[in-house]
Formats: sequence, C-alpha cells, structure tokens
Amino acid sequence: MTAPHADQLIDGYLARLNAAASDLPKAARQELLDDVGAHITEARARESEETDAVILNILDRLGEPATVVADAGERLGVRPPQPYRPGVLEILAVILVPFFWPVGVILLWISPAWHWRDKLIGTLVPPGGYLGVSVLALVAVSGRSGGCITMTNAAGAVIQNTCSHTVPSWLQTLAAVVLTIVVYALPLITAGYLAIRLRWGRQPQAVLA
Amino acid sequence: MRVPADGLVSQMRRGALEYCVMALVQQTPRYAFEMIEALGQTGMLTTEGTLYPLLSRLRRDGLVKTEWRESTDGPPRRYYELTAEGRRALTAFRVEWVGFRAAVDGILQEARKS
Repeated sequence: MTAPHADQLIDGYLARLNAAASDLPKAARQELLDDVGAHITEARARESEETDAVILNILDRLGEPATVVADAGERLGVRPPQPYRPGVLEILAVILVPFFWPVGVILLWISPAWHWRDKLIGTLVPPGGYLGVSVLALVAVSGRSGGCITMTNAAGAVIQNTCSHTVPSWLQTLAAVVLTIVVYALPLITAGYLAIRLRWGRQPQAVLA
Repeated sequence: MRVPADGLVSQMRRGALEYCVMALVQQTPRYAFEMIEALGQTGMLTTEGTLYPLLSRLRRDGLVKTEWRESTDGPPRRYYELTAEGRRALTAFRVEWVGFRAAVDGILQEARKS
C-alpha cells in the first residue's frame, strides 16, 4: 500500500535536491538525481507497510539536499563558478558601440560579460549608434516639408499650397531641440548602461576540477 | 558538546569512507543500497545521500566499474565492482592505515602511561 502523500513528499524532496544542485555540472546533477530516485524506490520496496512517516524517514536518512549537494561538490571537486572578469574587450565594446557601431556590436556579442538582453539593448538603442542617429536626423530633416500639401494642375502650375501649422512654431522648435538632445545622448546613455551592467557579469557553469 | 576533534574526526571518517566503500566491493559486486545497509550499522555513513557522489567519484577515477543487472523485484540495479586500479589503491591504503593507526595508538598509550 502507498502512503497518502508519498508522491508529494518525494517529488518535493527531489525538487529541493535539484534546486540545491544547480551549481553542479549538468551531468553530475542528473546522475545524483537518478541515483537518489533509485535509492528511494529501493528503500520503499523494503518496507512492508508504507506510511507518510516511513517516507519521511527514508528522506531524513538521505540527508538535507543542501548537505548532500555540498558533499557532492567537495567529492567531485567542483570549483564554485568564478565571475567573468571584464577586460579590454568589454572596454572597447562600450566605447565602440556608440561611435563605431558595427565593430562595437560585434565585440558586444563576443563578450560573455553581458546578458543577451543587455546585448540586444546595446545593439538596438539606437540602432547604428551615432551613425544610425545621423541617418535618422537626415531623414527627419528631409521629411520636414511633409506638413505642406501642394496641389498642381495638369500644366504643373500650383493651384493650392496649404501648410498645416496647428502647433505653434516655438513649441515645434522646443520639441525638436529636446528630441535632438535625447537622440544624440541615447548612444551615450546606452554605453553607460552597458558599463553598469558589466559589473555583475555572467556566471559561467561550474566546472569539474 | 562540541569538542575540537569533531571536525578532524568527521574529515577522517569522510576520507576513510572512500576506502571502506572500495573494500565492500572488493570481493563481490554490490549495488548502492546494499552498501548503505552494510555501512549503516557502523556509523560511517550518517547522511545516506552522500554515498552517491562518492560512488560517482570512484567511478570517474576508474577505481570502480559499474554494470546494470536485472533485479527480480524491481527496476535494474547498478552494481559496483573494484577495478585493478582500485585494488592497488585499496592495498596502498591498507598499508598506510595500519601504520598510521599503530603510530597514533602507540603515542596515545605512551602519553597515558607517563
């Protein structure tokens, strides 16, 4: 007969073990989970009558997941993961992303020091760094006449020329100035952001000594 | 009460456990649960779960080899058996251990007499 909460208790234990073993190399963690799973099956088969208390005793004898994993780490000679140390590559990436976009972005993606989300932000905000901003500015300037509608007749003579100026021109100028500042500061803000995010680094997988 | 020797003794037990496990599978192949039952009565293994990383380590170092065998009453079991290299390591440990135990015993007894 099966204990009323056997599956819950065992699944809970294995989940805690799995979580505690997150720093172990994948293969070692899987092997430990398989071995402990087999152990529990073996131990249960030896009990004539199964109650929740019997299951709890089996798990107690196995030991706290954290204890088992700590022992496994020592036995298997697992070095705790060393945070990646940023160096010249990262400095160059931060400088080149705004000013020399293609090269900067390549360096950004090569470096393991950033999370992929940060790499995406570095690549796309703004796309092309200052090069991209300049292209955008050009497009914006050339598109400024868009507010005017010019109608011509078949002979090419202007019959109507309406420019919609619903917004006061000083407000437009102010908006343009603010927008310009924001757009031109954006590559630098992104570079600053990348420099800040660098410090946390990315945790490489634990390795067997 | 904790005595200063606690840490040392547990470290020694931990180190010696490897060889005790190797000794258990020297003559006949055994599966992990059998070893736990054998070790359980000795107090050498207080946290049963820690046997598994130890066995993985021994296997990785080539001191034991494993083989799956069918079981009559459940899923297949992984049997552990000492390799030639394991045998050599165990013999070396036996010699060291006997010498070490004799030396420590001798000094402790000598100190008690004086």
